[in-house]
Amino acid sequence: MAKKRNGKMHKGLQLTLGITMVLSLLLTACTSNGGSGNKDKTEPTQSAVSNTGGNDESKGNEGANKPVYPLNTKDTFSYWAPINGNLITFTTNLAEAPIGKAIAEATGVKVTYIHPTDGQAEEQFNLLLASSKLPDVLEYDWSIYPGGPEKAIADGVIVPLNDLIDQYAPNLKKMLEANPDLDKMVKTDSGQYYAFPMVRNSEGVVFRGPMLRKDWLDELGLQLPVTIDDWHKVLTAFKEKKGAAAPLTALYANKMNLQDAFFGAYKTSHGFYIDDQGKVKYGPLDPQYKDVLTLFRQWYSEGLIDKDFPIVERNTLDKRFLNGESGATVYLLGGGMGKWLESGKAQNPDFNLAAAPYPVLKAGEKPFTGQRDFKYNPKASAAVTTSAKDLETIVKWLDFAFSEQGTMMYNFGVEGESYTMDNGVPKFTDMIVKNEKYTSQQMLAQFTVPNGPFPMHEQKTTNTFPQQDEAVKVWAETDAEKHILPAFITPTVDESKKVAQTMTAINTYLEEMFIKFLMGNESLDKFDSFVKQLEDMGIRDVIDIYQGALERYNKR
Amino acid sequence: MAQLKLGRSKVAHAGRLPLNIAKDIVKNKYLYIMLTPVLAYFIIFQYFPMYGAIIAFKDFNPRLGIGGSAWAGLEHFRDFFGGMYFWRVFKNTLMISLYDLVFGFPAPLILALLLNEVKNALFKRSVQTITYLPHFISLVIICGMIKDFTSSDGVINDIIAFFGGERITMLLEPSFFRTIFVSSNIWQHVGWGTIIYLAALSAIDPEQYEACKIDGGGRWKQMLNVTLPGLLPVFVILLILDIGRIMSVGFEKVILLYNPTTYVTADVISSYVYRIGLQDFQFSFSSAVGLFNSVINFALVIGSNWISRKLNNTGLW
Repeated sequence: MAKKRNGKMHKGLQLTLGITMVLSLLLTACTSNGGSGNKDKTEPTQSAVSNTGGNDESKGNEGANKPVYPLNTKDTFSYWAPINGNLITFTTNLAEAPIGKAIAEATGVKVTYIHPTDGQAEEQFNLLLASSKLPDVLEYDWSIYPGGPEKAIADGVIVPLNDLIDQYAPNLKKMLEANPDLDKMVKTDSGQYYAFPMVRNSEGVVFRGPMLRKDWLDELGLQLPVTIDDWHKVLTAFKEKKGAAAPLTALYANKMNLQDAFFGAYKTSHGFYIDDQGKVKYGPLDPQYKDVLTLFRQWYSEGLIDKDFPIVERNTLDKRFLNGESGATVYLLGGGMGKWLESGKAQNPDFNLAAAPYPVLKAGEKPFTGQRDFKYNPKASAAVTTSAKDLETIVKWLDFAFSEQGTMMYNFGVEGESYTMDNGVPKFTDMIVKNEKYTSQQMLAQFTVPNGPFPMHEQKTTNTFPQQDEAVKVWAETDAEKHILPAFITPTVDESKKVAQTMTAINTYLEEMFIKFLMGNESLDKFDSFVKQLEDMGIRDVIDIYQGALERYNKR
Repeated sequence: MAQLKLGRSKVAHAGRLPLNIAKDIVKNKYLYIMLTPVLAYFIIFQYFPMYGAIIAFKDFNPRLGIGGSAWAGLEHFRDFFGGMYFWRVFKNTLMISLYDLVFGFPAPLILALLLNEVKNALFKRSVQTITYLPHFISLVIICGMIKDFTSSDGVINDIIAFFGGERITMLLEPSFFRTIFVSSNIWQHVGWGTIIYLAALSAIDPEQYEACKIDGGGRWKQMLNVTLPGLLPVFVILLILDIGRIMSVGFEKVILLYNPTTYVTADVISSYVYRIGLQDFQFSFSSAVGLFNSVINFALVIGSNWISRKLNNTGLW
């Protein structure tokens, strides 16, 4: 061990070398610890605000207590939010996008945006809460915080906004006073405000539904299907006459994403719903749920349902539709119908899609349920954390989105660039909707804020095809409003813990059993024992908890 | 124990702590300087975080922190052992690991022996390069390739269809999962694994081969009597290290390849921990599961090392 080996080297040189080695090793040890430490992966943006005094139109004509934009402040803050998937093509940070720069210029505040890795927002959000250093603002789905927003306030994660809104957010305040139903959604049971909400416009609440290849229907001389039997006929024709390998397909995200299409025909749901008596129910426990399974089982065995349905991702869906492997699905208005019409027509001028109404058993019935969201979208709402320092600036900045000027900017971008006024109606320019290189979705992500804490303008539509306008009308024709359980009901802390534990196991079980029933690996005679298993796992307790939370919600 | 002598001796005996540590540090300061970063690394990044394992016994609340959360005793362990999926994830973890050990572990050794017999240097080098390339491709891309290869219009199904078989989406078949998982593991790592064996081969004394030849041994005999015994120590040490990882199947790969249809055979302890802990926010519960996993791994390493020492006097310690 102790042999001297300084034969050829100078003493001082040796020491330097030793120390250098140590230092460099320590450095690498510190930097290469990249396991989960990408919480602070931000790129400080250098887009300094150059206020040349050009765009101050809305100055002066507002009330005395209203904040005047751009704010005269040196404050800055950090804003954590998932990045829009369509923006990634162009930039990794919202501050560098045209819309980010426009907002910074208009408000006079340079915000540092922090974006989690695309697709891992939920995990990173959870890790973030476990760390002690929070960004100043968190834009996320506060309804999934265990125990709800009220608990997040009690845990000292976010601050209640009631006083701050009173003082610094006149625009939001005005909106909440004018819309009591919205007010009820964005409060907790005890009346605390916790976030600046994303507010949808009246058309924006419906954005998903059943759609089919219209050109195939025309070619085969078929009508748009209305009843379950019609659907069976159409899907069979697609399979036999058009050679579709997977006539009906759907995105799979822990469940077949059908928005309760087909389930609704049997007056049930794939999850929790509210029945006609205002009681919370869990679909899989219903006897009629077995009818849905029987139907799907039959369709699957006839090859009408995508046989690979548990691994259908977004790109699979694109492939299925653009290669003529599928002729029907339940999917998004913009990211599905709009996108496929755009790329489908490029390949094949006849390519056409049409929205079908939610299926029913007998023609003339109104569909029991379907996709219908609420005005308030808790998924993209911004809460202020307890780490935030400059509360006044932050709240004023957040309120900008609710001012007239801000609403226009968030919805449409910059006038003359991304939109023009046409007889008082804002219209997107050709650069956005008829871009040679990029889809309109990609352009909108750069020049507007697709999702975030702002009110959607009543005249905002991102539809680029008349088929989409039609679709919104068709899909809205359901009784979903009465039967969908709001996402922002809030069980208490202990209840939430119970729900989380119970539902984790139940969701896994339901998912596996659903697949087995459909594929025929499990006989439908086992349905009763399946229901019993769900009850043994504690589903009744969860139903009771939700019932209580719903009643509290209705009393708000 | 000639302690007095040792104290005065200039050279510490290997394997014993020198009595006068200060003296030793002065004497071998460069060795110690080189040792510090390694020690620091282990203390900072390996030992210190172990403190966090406490949350397995607590009701962890992120805002209260590790110290502030309430104790929950063994509740999470009870939940796990009594849960519906305990036996399934336990069995799957063991099965996938065993498959990997039985089929995947000897593969590099076999390839190394084969390469050792190749005389054409160019051929040997290109085979090596081709086989260790997949090791450098990122796992996500590898899994994307696996998905493509095994999909119903993928290359494997093309071959099956060519011989008149039926096309199936292989990743939807629970019975295929382990095979796909393990064989793709071999494909990924076999070339990389041979490197260490080839290095060990070059250390074998050529005289032994000469002796074997003189005794009339052909190539086969040389391999059995010289090459294999020469590789045995390396083989055993690698085996012990691998057995220690038996319960920690690479969950990234499982997560990238599995889906609800294949949970039956594919859901392992670590992927279960990931789903429950990070996606469902139950940090304490998943730490308990992870801790249980580590305890088993620990026992396996100690056990296999002990057996190996008993059998052939080689071991990690």
